[in-house]
Amino acid sequence: MTRYIAGRLVETLVMLAVMSFLIYGLIGLMPGDPIDIMVQADPNLTPTDAARLKALYGLDKPLIERYLNWLGAALQGDFGYSRVHNAPVLEVLLPRLGNTLLLMGLSFILALTVALPIGVYSALKPYGARDYAVNFAALAGISVPVFWLALMLIYLFAVEWKLLPAGGMQTIGVDSLLDRARYLVLPVVTLSAASAGGFTRFMRASTMETMRHDYIRTARAKGLSETRVVLKHALRNALIPVVTIVALSFGGLFSGALITETMFSYLGMGKLIYDSILGNDYNLALIGLLFATLITLIANLAADICYAWLDPRISYQGSAGQ
Amino acid sequence: MTPLLEARGLSKHFAIRGVGLFAKRIGTLRAVDEVSLTIAAGRCLALVGESGCGKTTLARCLALLHRPSGGSIHFDGVTIYDDKTFNSNIIRRDIQMVFQDPFSALNPRMTVAAIIAEPLNIHALGDRRMRAARVVELMESVGLSPSLADRYPHEFSGGQRQRIGIARALALRPRLIIADEPVSALDVSVQSQVLNLMLDLQDALGMSYLFVSHDLAVVEHMADDVAVMYLGRIVERAPRDDLFARPSHPYTRALLRSIPRPGGGKRTIGAALGGEVPSPLDPPSGCPFHPRCPQAADICRAERPLLEPLEDNHFAACHFKDTA
Amino acid sequence: MSSMTRLTARRFAKHRMALASGVLIILLALAAGAAPLVEALLGVDGNEVDLLARFGAAGPGHPLGTDELGRDVLVRLLFGGQVSLTVALITAFAAAVIGAAIGLVAGYYGGWVDGLLMRLTDGVIALPLLPLLIILAAIDLSKIPFLDGLDDSPASSLYRIVLIITLVGWTTVARLVRGAALSLRTREYVLAARSMGAGGLRIMAVHILPNVMSPIIVATSLSVGNIILFESVLSFLGLGIQPPIASWGNMLNNAQELIYEAPALAFYPGIAIFLTVIAFNFLGDGLQDALDPKAAGD
Repeated sequence: MTRYIAGRLVETLVMLAVMSFLIYGLIGLMPGDPIDIMVQADPNLTPTDAARLKALYGLDKPLIERYLNWLGAALQGDFGYSRVHNAPVLEVLLPRLGNTLLLMGLSFILALTVALPIGVYSALKPYGARDYAVNFAALAGISVPVFWLALMLIYLFAVEWKLLPAGGMQTIGVDSLLDRARYLVLPVVTLSAASAGGFTRFMRASTMETMRHDYIRTARAKGLSETRVVLKHALRNALIPVVTIVALSFGGLFSGALITETMFSYLGMGKLIYDSILGNDYNLALIGLLFATLITLIANLAADICYAWLDPRISYQGSAGQ
Repeated sequence: MTPLLEARGLSKHFAIRGVGLFAKRIGTLRAVDEVSLTIAAGRCLALVGESGCGKTTLARCLALLHRPSGGSIHFDGVTIYDDKTFNSNIIRRDIQMVFQDPFSALNPRMTVAAIIAEPLNIHALGDRRMRAARVVELMESVGLSPSLADRYPHEFSGGQRQRIGIARALALRPRLIIADEPVSALDVSVQSQVLNLMLDLQDALGMSYLFVSHDLAVVEHMADDVAVMYLGRIVERAPRDDLFARPSHPYTRALLRSIPRPGGGKRTIGAALGGEVPSPLDPPSGCPFHPRCPQAADICRAERPLLEPLEDNHFAACHFKDTA
Repeated sequence: MSSMTRLTARRFAKHRMALASGVLIILLALAAGAAPLVEALLGVDGNEVDLLARFGAAGPGHPLGTDELGRDVLVRLLFGGQVSLTVALITAFAAAVIGAAIGLVAGYYGGWVDGLLMRLTDGVIALPLLPLLIILAAIDLSKIPFLDGLDDSPASSLYRIVLIITLVGWTTVARLVRGAALSLRTREYVLAARSMGAGGLRIMAVHILPNVMSPIIVATSLSVGNIILFESVLSFLGLGIQPPIASWGNMLNNAQELIYEAPALAFYPGIAIFLTVIAFNFLGDGLQDALDPKAAGD
């Protein structure tokens, strides 16, 4: 098991390095002279410094060379300055990262809480009216464009019925948990729609698959009530494949979060990245993207480790080797 | 006379490893362990053994479908495999295979005509008309009506599919056909039809066979020479009649005793064969057969017996082979 | 072969929603294709700006009203459908071709080739898709030597969108095909082909590919929905298909600021996207059940 984790950690680091190279290269292709913009972002820059930095990172240098120079600085903690916010990149990024993780986390939990029970419930009477309704709703969740759902929800709840705010993080001047919660309702619901749909379908499929196995028939033949059969025997096995898929999808939530944050003016990292790409704030964009990639990679790593822990083949290999 | 196909000290090992980037090697599966055999031109060598003894792996190694792990293979005097060579191109027309499972040996999305003509297409032999004519010729030679050429494999029975497989193998006029349990998946009544077809073809075309089987009754019918395999090694090798009349290795004797004979009756020769085949991942020391051998002695546990001549063309790998 | 097709068709027909979706998609495609016809029938020009007729309500001559520039909504919707559907189908096809090629090579050759290609695939899957697409859309193409034929014109935006979504959209098919190829390469008919001297290319094209077409078709039809969603998001953000070429996504971009005055303008394109995507998803589901009954809950 340790060997497996070690291997996956190495792969994650390599992937991160490759991604950083790719993204660095892409930033260099932005309109204008992105390197110049990135270098000029530091307010404390002297002309000598500027010249030196241009020599290191300038677009006239081959990609590998300027990437390695950048990497060297980055590994020492120097991520550059945000041009728009006039502050070091990490200072701008980290609080917003927290907001995004909050949004993603709440949506994830909401989606799971709704989807898993409904998926199981629906699988118990397959192909009935209830099942068709659930399947339709789940597919609807996956098919709806997030930005349109946001627009519709804003229209209904903020414009028409005036129940919830149309955007932002909190009412100005008010610092209460309840207030912040009000502002979170619509974004969280919007973001969880697609995930909830996906999870419902997986849970349903997995439960139906499990219920077909012979040991379920045995349990029924023993005279156990249907509820007991499901809860005690089927559920655990149905959950295993779902857990993997669910964990792997956490990273994908980021794309949805980006749109949701933009639509609701929620000050998260997704919106930050979007604004920075379009606002030529390339230092911020670069590091922001790397963070986003890192989140996804970590989520996938956690999912793999979870799965390895559950899959007896891999755990056995590991323990036999210790 | 140069044998058509000769293998010397041929081995094929599979490394078993765990999962992931730093996974350890857990064990080595010695599927084929220093096998030497020869197939003479125009003769049929049968390779016999129980499931898991490595005969399929050996057959595929000889067809160069696997890359062996050691030893050498020579075809008509030319080295096609050794530690410096892996020349499969030479034999792609001379050695062909017929497979065991008629259901997976034919591509379900190709018509019979396409399947049989494929070797001709690959080697760009003849033009379209000549290939079509050859397909007809081949189908007739295996007893299939050429009008069925545009059908798909799922429309045929198991026995018919094997015939298609044989027709495909014949397309390039090979000198050696390696048949891996060609009738094991067929009903008994169909088996003899296919076997007789193969014998007739051999008479007509003069090719050699390597005939792999676990069924001694079939072997008795088909073989000119027989090689017996156990846990990846050849334990005895002899012309058919010699083997059946004077089996030397205790395993061979046990196998022969297990052939069902009409009339039943008690088996009185020797003791029954006990135990199970050990895992090829963890073979016994010395002679691989010693845990199940009624004659096992200390030397059998300690030292691995080599395949050595007994009499004319009759070889056995047993410390006690001369006492039969 | 025809009997197998008939069996598949019958299984598909049992799926009422899938059948309905198939019909819906055909109708949508026909409607979109008929856009010029509708334009002529109504006597309007989809691009004609008429500032006196802004935000017109639904009525004769304008079945769905007019937008903020006085253009007829229905006609723009239909033309937008043309664009969105064509872009999505071409992208889905291109991504499937690339994915199948990569999957075949990885699955058939195995070993380090497979390891490398799958790391690559996993890498692309691990990327945060939307941010990456945004960057790709924002790139100044003149800096890439062989792509500087593409300028910033709206027509080019169509090619760009197809290109960038294809670049990230091939992974599902690749994984699917790789899995299938891995299991098929030990089939005896593949061994037979090798033993007669067939080369890798022939085996992949003749023996493996035709036998993995079913999952490819399913995966591709399921991907169309996702592609439509990505294209509309990008167009909505102003990075995809550029006006004046209408796409459902960029119609929503304009509508966003006007949500207070004319909510209907935000409703129609969104509903169009929603219905199309859900139809393709149902279709894909139905195809999956029809082509691979073991995977379904039959």
